[in-house]
Amino acid sequence: MSINDATTAVNAELAGRDDIIVCDGVDKWYGDFQALKGVTATIKEREVVVVLGPSGSGKSTWIRCINRLEQHQGGRIIVDGVELTNDTRNIEKIRSEVGMVFQSFNLFPHLTVIDNITLAPIWVRKRPRGEAEQTARELLERVGIPEQADKFPGQLSGGQQQRVAIARALAMEPRIMLFDEPTSALDPEMIKEVLDVMKELANSGMTMMVVTHEMGFAREVADRIIFMESGEIVEVGTPEHFFTNPTEDRTKLFLSQIL
Amino acid sequence: MSDLLKSDVDLEAIIAQADEDEITLRPDEPSLPPGEWMRKNLFSTPFNSVLTIVFALGALWAYRAILNFIFSENTQWDAVRVNLRLMFTQAYPDENYTRVWVSLAIVAVLAGLSLGLSKVGRGLSLKKIATWCFGWGGLIVLGVLLREPSVKTDASGESVFADANGVELVRDDLGSLAYANGDPAPSQGLELIRESFGSAMGNRTGWWIIGLLLLAVGAAIWFGLGDFRRRNTFVPAIPFGLAGVGLLVSTTWWYGWGNYTFSEEGFTYEPGELVASSTRNPWTVVFLVLVGAYIVGRAIQRTERAGTVRAITNLSWLLAPFVTFWAVLRGPVLDWGYVASVDIPLYLLFAVGGGLILWMLTNPHIGEAGRIIAVVILAIAAFTWISAFFGWFGMLQKIRLSILFLGLAALLAPNFKGDAKQRMKLIYGWLGFITIFHVMVTLINTPSSIEVPTEDFAGGFMVSIYVSIFTMIFSFPLGVMLALARTSRLPLFRVMSTVYIESFRGVPLITMLFFFTVFVNLFLPEGMELSLFAAVVVAFVLFSAAYLAENVRGGLQAIRRGQYEASDALGLTTVQRTAFIVLPQGLRVSIPPLVGQVIATFKETSLLAIVGVFDFLRMARDVIPAQTEFLGVRKPGLLFICVVYFVGAYAMSKYSQRLEKQLGVGER
Repeated sequence: MSINDATTAVNAELAGRDDIIVCDGVDKWYGDFQALKGVTATIKEREVVVVLGPSGSGKSTWIRCINRLEQHQGGRIIVDGVELTNDTRNIEKIRSEVGMVFQSFNLFPHLTVIDNITLAPIWVRKRPRGEAEQTARELLERVGIPEQADKFPGQLSGGQQQRVAIARALAMEPRIMLFDEPTSALDPEMIKEVLDVMKELANSGMTMMVVTHEMGFAREVADRIIFMESGEIVEVGTPEHFFTNPTEDRTKLFLSQIL
Repeated sequence: MSDLLKSDVDLEAIIAQADEDEITLRPDEPSLPPGEWMRKNLFSTPFNSVLTIVFALGALWAYRAILNFIFSENTQWDAVRVNLRLMFTQAYPDENYTRVWVSLAIVAVLAGLSLGLSKVGRGLSLKKIATWCFGWGGLIVLGVLLREPSVKTDASGESVFADANGVELVRDDLGSLAYANGDPAPSQGLELIRESFGSAMGNRTGWWIIGLLLLAVGAAIWFGLGDFRRRNTFVPAIPFGLAGVGLLVSTTWWYGWGNYTFSEEGFTYEPGELVASSTRNPWTVVFLVLVGAYIVGRAIQRTERAGTVRAITNLSWLLAPFVTFWAVLRGPVLDWGYVASVDIPLYLLFAVGGGLILWMLTNPHIGEAGRIIAVVILAIAAFTWISAFFGWFGMLQKIRLSILFLGLAALLAPNFKGDAKQRMKLIYGWLGFITIFHVMVTLINTPSSIEVPTEDFAGGFMVSIYVSIFTMIFSFPLGVMLALARTSRLPLFRVMSTVYIESFRGVPLITMLFFFTVFVNLFLPEGMELSLFAAVVVAFVLFSAAYLAENVRGGLQAIRRGQYEASDALGLTTVQRTAFIVLPQGLRVSIPPLVGQVIATFKETSLLAIVGVFDFLRMARDVIPAQTEFLGVRKPGLLFICVVYFVGAYAMSKYSQRLEKQLGVGER
């Protein structure tokens, strides 16, 4: 089976699922600098998409547009059937459906781990506290740090903090998870523990969009890889296609620099 | 032998305890011998040596000057001792004095509970106590040596004088000064004769004993207890502090604190009963209440209800100033007919009606209508305020305020949408708030039963402390709101808050005080007026809020952007983000400047003396020097209020350091 056949097969398989994120010609400027130039892509339900690209290529900007941490100025973004506009109710609805994990964790330093996780479920989802804590402990179990529940973030290692951040996002029971360079701020020995959690999450059928520099993870877990440069999508394909037989010169150059 | 054995056992127990507590014991660094230490820290270079000597001489000179004033025969400490009651509570009538004690007892109950419920720290190390003993003992001994000798007195206790040549004079039968041979003394050039240094030292036995005793206790702890683990043994701080307070209270039983009586026409001193003998019973009761509350608090702390009781205690602290000031000290006279016909129906209207509206607004399915209703209520509130200034619809001030509060609660309502339990939280909050508000307003709107010669029943330290406390309570939320408005994304809020902050920071406080006490009543619509007390509190609140806002803003700016992004990504609303993420972190960072502002306010209350309030300072500056017995005697009183202000400010500063340390948990 040729690589093109494989891509076709994946596309055929994905075609049966619903679109969950649709970006159509998304433009974004910072002052005079255009960070996104007509980004168009569709992400299906339960798909794991890894976004690669050199730094400054607009990958982080793009996924931050998807839950409106950044505001796009042109084109459309439709998440789970709701278009992102200035209407605050739409934004609130989408934000509670989309979980996000940041490069610098962004845990709340004045709250314990368990309070970090339960805050949003209690106040946004209106869960009773007991139920929320129960869920939080199960999630901590799932990310492998049940014993840290009553500590403060500052008392945890970077890898543990990032796993708490993942648990915090999952506690909202999101349909989509966005990862913005989740391992870039970690010491090498802690990267694996975070990636393991992400792999487990991918295998459980979560829709994920991951901006990362971890090529091994991309190759192993991604359904599709999107390669960006200078605010544009350059190439889209399966990991097999992308790593062994890229079609675009810019992709080849990028791969030659990092591999 | 058995003694030796016993002490060994003790030591082991202590060590075992220390291990159990996981107190990491840092091995004592071998301290330098004193000579070495001084050479290293004080005389390391010629320049440093000069600095050390100059500053040491300066400090000694200042210390000597203060001691000479305190112990001088010419300093009339009686002016303070006699007027203690006047300085603290002004002319608060004797027959109502129980109200003062009840207020103090309320504070004592809360203080005891809070201390009992607080988390127990490691306490005071014996090492620290030894250092204190050394410090105070050394200071006392130094003072005994430094202070100039007292004036010599003759057998009848009169001071002894000498003429310009140093020849000693005696008193003749009529009590006038003369030479020993009977020649009359010159009328000019007389000088007091002081004791010799030797006899001065001999006459200060009491101070020698206290100083040397302290040094001995310090040395006993430091050297006598050998093992360093003992020096790192901890004494519980709170019982230690309570014992200190107890010692102070016990002085009323053996020291003659003061003498007071108030005459009808003003503040003149007449010999009467000792303050000590009339206050020893109430002080003792208040102290016992404090200790009792502490013990109760300790007992509760071990149970599961500790959190609830702590929350109730904290809320009571917030209410205590209002309750003690308006309900206890002021002695309100209620008109029950009016209460039954106006106050209670109004209260029921707002409690029940407001509760129903809020119940409706927290309905999960209310949607857009909820926001509209909230805006309508706020609009009505705004209209009632505007119409007040044009005199259109006369209504009680508390109706206007109640509508405003209801509007604010309606704005909060969307955060409490959900099941019945969630919705009831807002309803309970509303009922509690509106009950307290209406009870307080009803009490405040009554005449006072306390008859005093001045405009307001509060005076002296009482008025200073209440102005400080009310300023803190009201300026804090106002300052936080201003800070949030100034960092808000909405330009209107930003501009309004900036204008407010900059204009109030640009005006001297004393000008504001004059403005509010003199002019504001002229601008207010008919039917509204500010009493002197209310006027100064408003001025202080508005002034202090501007500074607090800047401090809080500093804290808000220290919050990293990621915190905002994380809370946005989780779908928290702006109100939730502010309440749970932004303010807790921002306020923690701004604790030191906030406490600085509180201390500044506390000290600035002394400006009240200038705008005609009989405050603490005015007692010392104007009232006492006007008494016939103490005409023109200002210095002792002023020094005394300095000490009282210092103790208050220092205590607050220490408390803030502790608070910072406590809240530092989990940071970084």
